[in-house]
Amino acid sequence: MKAVVFSESPVFLKMAAAVAQSFGGDVIGISDSENVKFVNKLYIIDKMDEDGIVDLISSLSPDVILTGNVRRDRAIAGRVAGKLKLPIVTDVVSLKVEDKKVTLNRVAYSGMGLVTLESELPIVMTIANTQLQPKELQPTVEKVQLKEGRVKIVGRKSTSSGVNLATADIVIGVGRGIGSKENVKYAEELAKALGGAVGGSRPVAAELNWVPEDRQIGLSGLRIRPKLYIALGISGQPQHIAGIRDSKIIVAVNTDKNAPILENADYLVVGNAIDFCKVMLSKLGKK
Amino acid sequence: MNIVVGFKIVPDDQMVKVVGDKLNTDAPLKVSTYDKNAIEEAIRLKEKFGGKVTGITVGSNDRKSIREALAMGVDEVIAILVKDPDVYVTAMAIAENVKMLNPDIILFSEMTTDSGTSALPAYVSELLGLPYISNVKSLKIEGNKVTADRGMVSYIETVESSLPLVVSVGGEINTPRIPSVKQIMESSKKPVKEVKFDAQSKVRIREIKPMIVNRKRIVIEESDINKAVDKLIEYLKSDGVI
Repeated sequence: MKAVVFSESPVFLKMAAAVAQSFGGDVIGISDSENVKFVNKLYIIDKMDEDGIVDLISSLSPDVILTGNVRRDRAIAGRVAGKLKLPIVTDVVSLKVEDKKVTLNRVAYSGMGLVTLESELPIVMTIANTQLQPKELQPTVEKVQLKEGRVKIVGRKSTSSGVNLATADIVIGVGRGIGSKENVKYAEELAKALGGAVGGSRPVAAELNWVPEDRQIGLSGLRIRPKLYIALGISGQPQHIAGIRDSKIIVAVNTDKNAPILENADYLVVGNAIDFCKVMLSKLGKK
Repeated sequence: MNIVVGFKIVPDDQMVKVVGDKLNTDAPLKVSTYDKNAIEEAIRLKEKFGGKVTGITVGSNDRKSIREALAMGVDEVIAILVKDPDVYVTAMAIAENVKMLNPDIILFSEMTTDSGTSALPAYVSELLGLPYISNVKSLKIEGNKVTADRGMVSYIETVESSLPLVVSVGGEINTPRIPSVKQIMESSKKPVKEVKFDAQSKVRIREIKPMIVNRKRIVIEESDINKAVDKLIEYLKSDGVI
């Protein structure tokens, strides 16, 4: 069994390697960093060129190709599958390999469904999340100079705001219902008082830029698992729910007591989100 | 310009519900949410550069949804019927049917609302041997040169490539137009070509179960927001989260 693992994200690379190790064969890693200690062999690439990475992975003829789940990983996984005409399953939450057959679980329908799938090896998959920890190994290392691809990277602008929602205990999510970019400050103040962080629905983060783009919560953005999630002015689109499903407690604040988010909330406070923030702040201050 | 846009007809994700221990996906059909952004972008390219927009859809051939795409400005739709479509079968069906169109650009959305794999556009690009740019949030074409901003969540990447190519777009790229009554009427006259494609899927679905998270669903409604917040704080304290 030969497994190839790739991710642009160090966290996902580690998770993918942990899954790959569980198959018991050789684990080959591809990364632009030397600091990868959980594979048997490591190819260090000189650039994040997708054409080059797709060619490199394909040339290794793996039984299993595992990538992480960030956007570049997904693009590469889909292309490797297409190039080798292999089956592909993304967002894998658990799997079992027996002989040449693999049974996988993934979420679908914006996180509402858990689907069990079957396929043969070789296969390409992207890993959603795992608690598995990889063993530390001493890989043999080979540096690879990738060829120049057909898509040239000419610029990169960070949207990072220095806040990691994935690890925050308390997250406040803002949606269009908060009214304006200026109003986000009330959510920020409340988050500060609670020791939490502010994120936003896709329209608010990616389209309106009321909150930084790297704090987009949802199916195609971040999937968070805080102790407490407070949704301010978020109606509850399935794509948003997909990102908050693993929260311990979900509070929604909405002027409409019939907002669809109620179905996925523990508490729905009927009211204006700004008033709510102001009152919460004053009460927490009094403590 | 020969423009091809892929779209998927899916159960309305707002209407897919957990009923007992089953996920009821038997909901009204529609064009998947971000696929409308791909259609909008395709029509904008046609308005700018001329040519033709061919829509392509695999799976359901629901006529009402196909007409939605035609009413927005797609000139013709190829609806492909397949058995058990996985990513492989869908991609093969599309590649097979778009080759002869000689496309300059093939647009998809970055993710559908049902399976949401993000894998299809990438798969198709390899089957056709074309370059691929995913997660495009803005697209500029001058002559053969393509410049695109990719939204990668924690950063934005600007890339250059050239036609022909495959792109996937995100919801932030544009706002899909709402067709006029006249366009809706006229859409019934536009051609829809139904074809069959036969291939064995590589991934088989064994079971679909609902993901059940039991929420308390307590509504706190008070005429005075102070009282409501007091109640909430009590609840949150007893839950041990603040």
